[in-house]
Amino acid sequence: MEKKGLNRRQFLKLTGAVPLVAAAGSIGGGLVFPKGLWAATPKIKGPIRIGYQAVLSGTLAGYGEFHKMGAVMAIEEINAKGGIAGQKVEMEFRDSTLKPDDAIKNARYFVDSWGADFLCGIDSSGQALALAPVMSQLDRPLMVTHAATEKLTEEFVFRKGIKQIFRNCMPTYNDGNAAAFIAKDFPAVKWATVSPKYEYGFTCWKMFQETLTKLKPGVSFTAESWAPFGTTDFRSHINTILDAKPDGLYSTEWAGELISFLKQAKEAGLFDKVKYVMLPVGAAMDVLEGMGKDMPDNIWISARYYFQYPNNKENNGWVARFHKRWGHYPAYVSETAYSAIHAYKAAVEKAGSKDTKAVVAALEGMAMNSPAGHRVFRKEDHQAIYDVPWGKTKSDPKYPFKVMGNMRVIPAKEYFNRPPFEGPGTTPPFK
Amino acid sequence: MQSYVHVILAGLSNGMFIWLVASGLTLIFGVLGVLNFAHGSFYMLGAYGSFTVLKYLGAGFWTGLLLGPLAVCAAGFVVERFFLRHVYRIALPYQLLLTFAFVLIFDNLVKIVWGGGALSPPSLSFLGGSIPILGRNFPVYNLFIIAVGPAVALLLWALLEKTWYGRIIRASSSDREMAASLGVRVPALFTGVFVFGTWLGALGGGLAVPYVGLLTPGMGEAIIIEAFIVAVIGGLGSLKGAFVGALVIGVMSAFGTRFFPSFDMFLTFILMGGVLLWRPQGLFGAAR
Amino acid sequence: MKAEARNAAAAVVLLALCAVPFLAGKFTVYLAMRIMLLGIFAVGYNLLLGQTGLLSFGHGAFYAAGAYGLGFFGLHVSGNPLFGVAAGVAAAILLAILVGYLCVRHTEIYFAMLTLAFGMMVFSLIWNAREITGGDDGLIGIMRSPVSFFGLLEIPIGTDRQFYFFILFFFALSVWAVHRIRQSPFGLALAGIRENARRSEFAGVPVRRYRLAVFVLSGAFAGLAGSLEALLESNARPFMAHWTHSAEPVLVSLLGGLSSLTGPLVGSAIFIAMREIIQRFTENWMLWFGIVLLVIILGFRGGVVGTLSAFFRKAAAPGEG
Repeated sequence: MEKKGLNRRQFLKLTGAVPLVAAAGSIGGGLVFPKGLWAATPKIKGPIRIGYQAVLSGTLAGYGEFHKMGAVMAIEEINAKGGIAGQKVEMEFRDSTLKPDDAIKNARYFVDSWGADFLCGIDSSGQALALAPVMSQLDRPLMVTHAATEKLTEEFVFRKGIKQIFRNCMPTYNDGNAAAFIAKDFPAVKWATVSPKYEYGFTCWKMFQETLTKLKPGVSFTAESWAPFGTTDFRSHINTILDAKPDGLYSTEWAGELISFLKQAKEAGLFDKVKYVMLPVGAAMDVLEGMGKDMPDNIWISARYYFQYPNNKENNGWVARFHKRWGHYPAYVSETAYSAIHAYKAAVEKAGSKDTKAVVAALEGMAMNSPAGHRVFRKEDHQAIYDVPWGKTKSDPKYPFKVMGNMRVIPAKEYFNRPPFEGPGTTPPFK
Repeated sequence: MQSYVHVILAGLSNGMFIWLVASGLTLIFGVLGVLNFAHGSFYMLGAYGSFTVLKYLGAGFWTGLLLGPLAVCAAGFVVERFFLRHVYRIALPYQLLLTFAFVLIFDNLVKIVWGGGALSPPSLSFLGGSIPILGRNFPVYNLFIIAVGPAVALLLWALLEKTWYGRIIRASSSDREMAASLGVRVPALFTGVFVFGTWLGALGGGLAVPYVGLLTPGMGEAIIIEAFIVAVIGGLGSLKGAFVGALVIGVMSAFGTRFFPSFDMFLTFILMGGVLLWRPQGLFGAAR
Repeated sequence: MKAEARNAAAAVVLLALCAVPFLAGKFTVYLAMRIMLLGIFAVGYNLLLGQTGLLSFGHGAFYAAGAYGLGFFGLHVSGNPLFGVAAGVAAAILLAILVGYLCVRHTEIYFAMLTLAFGMMVFSLIWNAREITGGDDGLIGIMRSPVSFFGLLEIPIGTDRQFYFFILFFFALSVWAVHRIRQSPFGLALAGIRENARRSEFAGVPVRRYRLAVFVLSGAFAGLAGSLEALLESNARPFMAHWTHSAEPVLVSLLGGLSSLTGPLVGSAIFIAMREIIQRFTENWMLWFGIVLLVIILGFRGGVVGTLSAFFRKAAAPGEG
């Protein structure tokens, strides 16, 4: 790769800038002329290649499909308008299978064999963490669009300085900390959980407990039931909760397992017994659509993006275009996929280059508008800061599924952990 | 008291549910001597088949449960007649590998036909809802599963012990050559048993539609491991063993989950290892 | 004459493997490393399956023991990869002795099920001991420090090309070792056990002890492959111990052929290359992979190597008269 870069620069020196700009314009979209910063620094040779990987097989295969819809749509729209910096965007999409070794293999394939400029995707935390050291070796930017572990940005980007990694989706802060900010206003004092029996579930529950205890001393946590990955029968977990008689139930179950859990909990009458229920990923589109009218009312839900928030022209327009293109409302991974490609576009055009160093520098601290609203990539840990809503489930005749009512938005700045991520004053609440 | 009764009920329904899948697996191993990895795929296909009849053809739950698994029998027929039959005589690992290939193929086909996203069936009107037992709601459908399990067991028992076909099947499974020399058309019989086993797995899948409340490509892989464990603990090839094994695993998991927050498959594998060490042929298996 | 030809062929293959990092692209080099790792895993495993006739579904546990052994050793004792690999192999051997002692009393399907149970217990243990193992996140950030011989000589293995030769060294060593084991009286005794255990017992072979020995040996190779993978991918993860991973050496041994030394090696290459090629042209890789498996199982009885060598033997036979 290094050699190619050299050749490219030599080539530029030899040929001069002018013909290249023209060539770039003509490849990109016929009559589109380059403009903006990159017009003056025509270092970019096309096409721009994005390697995307997400899970396309097994029980979570639907997530990969939703990633793909967002990414494909972004690329179609960008290419229709002349591409990135006048260069056509190409994407190759691979099944990540949720296995860390496959994620590493795909990343190496994208960079070393296919010649990707940028990488995107990744669903599981284990994959994201395993990829981190590899990304510094491959030296290409990776935009994580789904994996939520805070360790990725706190540990690997901030402490170990792996600058190639960015994340534009919500980390566990929303699932743990923000949930506590919402829960503190409930009269509930006894809390219990049914959550996934892996790091994600453990971390979120711990964050929720710690933050809620700080916000509302006197709360207690009475029962925990951990459901292994792949659980289909939640009845015994539900019994645990019913026996504990908590005021509030917190659960980071997600995707299909959340659907099974909700259906079975409803049958067992859990929602009549427990008044306050919080589902940090309950507003994911697959869950809303999957539950349909069976979704219980008055449950607090959130997600890493929710299609009705923010209620502005950009988001509503995007949701309408998405629905027209795919016949679905966008899932949160569709939004993060779409915005990730746009983040690369903005960064490349800002930097006037697609070289990793320049793009990383451009992304650091970069602000952008996206369907999910205003995003800023925090300089220290490369985590995008943006707001997502919480709300209570309610019916809406316009949709075949339940939507969010009583929408509440806690500003992300108030609940995101802050650098240096250890010691006092790094976890919420902040004074 | 209320708590224990509900733990037991949850364990019973889960156990009977696993039994429904394990029964076909056990029957096929008992007669054909093949460990069929693809049994989980038949379960998955049964679920998707029933769901399709129910949702897209607008038929009721019962029609779906009848037609879905019947359609899957065709897949079972193809697998046995054109593929599995050719590897009966070679080593066991080849049979495993062959059925594993079908797991990959069926998982992928389901994704192509029905999409990768989870399908979520609507709640049942009949058999839906729940009734209070000792002051806590218990789903009617789970009671139904608790009843279906023994019914299927009874059906199998009657079929194998009380009919002419059952005697032939038992004779062939204990001695293939002898049965053949007595004029039994063993290959046809094997196909028949395999298709019947397929039907049992697919029936489990059809019943899973309201039970799990969710269909995903790959849904068969979790259940096949549980069915495997149950079959091994009970004794490979023993239907009685699989039934008891399913009850043991179901109730044990329910208690484990309720009283040990970090319970998981670990204990079931310890149980499986322990049983194998103590009695390799399983609780009810005949020594080989 | 035959042995000479074989040695010559081995030398040619070794030379070709040495040339790979200089001729092929980076990704090919990476795939070659993965093939060699799977090859070490499988060629060791096939001592058990092909040579002795025991089907284990639990060797992922020893692979994981190797990876975590190296990881812990690197974290707490020394970063020297040679010592790390030794620690990983030692951990795998210890675990294999424990598991093997309990399992070898049974054979056939019961042995397979017992090893499956123990493998999954190890998987659960790793998953649940999150304070030590990192749970499902695994051990991350395992470093490739230079190989140091007591400070006298340091060989860096940081880059992929350097590390390729590190793996190649162990790969060649493993293949040679397995070849010697297969040819040794011990190896022949194992084949005797496979053909007829009872007769072996009458002939005075301590069958159960031999089975345990080969179980531990194959576990050691699994541990070696695991510790090398931990260095290559800089992580160790619980799914290394999962039964789906334990099934990989079974699969590639069957693909390549159980009865030869080269079978599992060829199988490893086919397995990894085929998946990669299929993924280049379709997202539905599972479907096509499954179909290719069917073709190989039904069309190449005895594996690719077995079928091809039988074919050539037949083709050569008339000429030799």
